[in-house]
Amino acid sequence: MRLEKCWFCSSTVYPGHGIQFVRNDAKIFHFCRSKCHKNFKMKRNPRKVKWTKAYSRLHGKDMTQDSTFEFERKRNRPERYDRNLAENTLKAIKKIDKIRSDRASDHIKNKSFSRLKTGKVQRQKEARKQLELGIHLVKAPLALAQDSSLCLPKIKVNVSQAQTEENQPMEE
Amino acid sequence: MWQFPVSDQVPQISGNRQACGNRFDKQQRTFIQMRTVLKVVDNSGAKKVMCIQALKGKKGARLGDTIIASVKEAMPNGKVKKGKVVYGVVVRAAMQRGRCDGSEVKFDDNAVVLVDKQGQPIGTRVFGPVPHELRQKKHVKILTLAEHIA
Repeated sequence: MRLEKCWFCSSTVYPGHGIQFVRNDAKIFHFCRSKCHKNFKMKRNPRKVKWTKAYSRLHGKDMTQDSTFEFERKRNRPERYDRNLAENTLKAIKKIDKIRSDRASDHIKNKSFSRLKTGKVQRQKEARKQLELGIHLVKAPLALAQDSSLCLPKIKVNVSQAQTEENQPMEE
Repeated sequence: MWQFPVSDQVPQISGNRQACGNRFDKQQRTFIQMRTVLKVVDNSGAKKVMCIQALKGKKGARLGDTIIASVKEAMPNGKVKKGKVVYGVVVRAAMQRGRCDGSEVKFDDNAVVLVDKQGQPIGTRVFGPVPHELRQKKHVKILTLAEHIA
């Protein structure tokens, strides 16, 4: 039993699924479902079809180079069955999978051009507002008043003389 | 005043492409039955044979089955001549065949290897990929001659 990769969309083909097409030059194409198969028959190039992994890897949307990919390379040499080896491999698969998916999601989130452009400006605005409101959580107001460098630039408001006299006892 | 073009007035370029795609989809690959012309992929001398009987199966032969065929086209000096009635083993079929693990295989064309009544191939070479379903059908000789097993 072997888990193949769909030639078109690069998803895994589990046993019992999909179609294998053998061309006369002996090249074998695996397809996970008829969608990929029909696209292939239409002679579409997976590198140009937006929803495939081939496209996203080509356009830098997905992680391409990582040491975790080395573990998944196809090995044609069958290993003699060893119970310990099998057990360790299963544990390793889980761990490597987790590391790889974490790295891949980091790549998607933190890349400089940010694949998920979820309202960057919006997020910054909200962050600034939160900082202004909750600055007392970061640093005590007295310390802020003394050390002007920590303050956010204050907006100057013209206040009448009577009001400032009232506020002074409150601040203390 | 710019008006939006009505859909049926717009030239249907994509429609054309769609029609081409549909034609590909509609191509139903079926059994190998009487009058099916198959390619011969060994060096027995024949080039094309026409099936006259599928030995097993009511609807027709599939991948790995034996057929009786009549040679329609042959090389000038070969072991078989045009018009001869021969047995053949289907080594490539455009119709998908289910494998024991649940997946399906299909090839690009319909191809046959000529054999004698006992099942031994007449030719000495086999071209192109062959499926490993032949092992179960006890056509081991063809598998050994094959250059690639799918």
